[in-house]
Amino acid sequence: MAAAALGWALRAARQVLPSPCPGQVRSYYVDWRMLRDVKRRRLAYEYADQRLRINAIRKNTILPKELQEVADKEIAALPRDSCPSRIHNRCVMTSRPRGVRRRWRLSRIVFRHFADHAQVSGVQRAMW
Amino acid sequence: MASWHKTAGALWWLCLLSQAELPSGRQTRGKVQKHFSTSSVLSAEKDKSTASKGSTTEGASKRQEGTAETPKQKLLDLIGNMKVEVSYRKKLQELKASENKKQDANRLEGPDSEGPQRTAEGIQRGKPLNPELVKAASAVASSLPLNKKQTESELLAQLRRHEETTDKQKKGETINIRDVISEMTVKKQSPAQRGVRISSRISLELDDDGQRIRPERFLSQSFDSRRSLKAGKRLNIFTKASTEPEHALKTVSSPTIWDLEFAKEIAAITAQPPRNGFEEMIQWTKEGILWEFPIDNEVGMDDGAEFHEHIFLDKHLEGFPKDGPIRHFMELVICGLSKNPYLSVKQKIEHIEWFEKYFEEKKELLQEI
Repeated sequence: MAAAALGWALRAARQVLPSPCPGQVRSYYVDWRMLRDVKRRRLAYEYADQRLRINAIRKNTILPKELQEVADKEIAALPRDSCPSRIHNRCVMTSRPRGVRRRWRLSRIVFRHFADHAQVSGVQRAMW
Repeated sequence: MASWHKTAGALWWLCLLSQAELPSGRQTRGKVQKHFSTSSVLSAEKDKSTASKGSTTEGASKRQEGTAETPKQKLLDLIGNMKVEVSYRKKLQELKASENKKQDANRLEGPDSEGPQRTAEGIQRGKPLNPELVKAASAVASSLPLNKKQTESELLAQLRRHEETTDKQKKGETINIRDVISEMTVKKQSPAQRGVRISSRISLELDDDGQRIRPERFLSQSFDSRRSLKAGKRLNIFTKASTEPEHALKTVSSPTIWDLEFAKEIAAITAQPPRNGFEEMIQWTKEGILWEFPIDNEVGMDDGAEFHEHIFLDKHLEGFPKDGPIRHFMELVICGLSKNPYLSVKQKIEHIEWFEKYFEEKKELLQEI
């Protein structure tokens, strides 16, 4: 499993993304932090159902507490990166952790750059 | 008198030859004559008056003209009955010819002598035309004072063409529609046949459909003998297509990588950029970028399962104990699942089965409690 994960990480780092689209094409992730974020997202997707079910047992008043403690231990045993709260919405272009607008997934600087060049649809300089 | 004749004659042939134009040369009746019909009527009236005058002055000559008039009148009546060219122009010609006869003794002598010559010519040229038609043509031509010989020849040529087309219709090829549709190959036709086809097609416009079908019926059998009924590609309109193409495809093995690449290349080349916004939207819809309208809320998740399979999930609870907190818990789970519109039935069953498995593993622990 570790080997597989490593292999996947290497492939991801050197991934040549399929590029039928014209324009800017990035062959690698911007930085390792972005890569880690990508990993976390994938793991979170994998373990999402399991986490939900175990949490359903845990957050309960009906089932006995012993069962719930066992469930606590189980969920703690899952890989740490499978937790969705570890995902951080970084900028897609620059991997900036802060100042990211969720709708466009871009940091404020990149957003401003694209908006000024009229490459963001429906966005105009405000004037009133 | 002479001046009257001259002016009347001038007006007549001016009217005949230039129907659309209003020649500026007309000075006697200028602005009043805007319509050809009115001018002709007026001219006719005037001619009658002149004719009456002429008759009174030339009594003896008129008797001579009378005897010669009758065959010519007969011919002109034939012309009137015939529908070679039903035009207003011809009617006027007839009117004028009938009145012109009474005046011009000299003109009558000319065409009569020339008539037999022309008939002989007409016979010599090609197929023997109806002598009556020839005489009628000559009479009509004579009524036109300008270029008698030219008009004569033109009329005869037209008559000959008509005769030819009728003969070709009876003898020549017909348009076999089946062959035209099914066997659209480049065939070598003789130019005569081609001409026949063109002429027959042109004649279609003139004749009724009823008249066309008769010559075809005689020929359909002859054509079937030439090309057998079962030869040629089947159109498969009334019967299902045979399995012949399937046999052809069975021999091909699974496509190799090179075949796939080739196919991709061809697709990329043939895919023209969209010419307008509509084609762009079509392309997007095919790719899956744009939704299909009217929007279907169940696009990707059509289970084919009925609502009762989503809601009544009690039957899946058979593996659980009937009493106790677990049962209570599972009933709550089922209640929540039944209200969930986002999961398919399979996913819900999987959910329940996971819990079943989980509690199976924890059975020992539960029994301790």
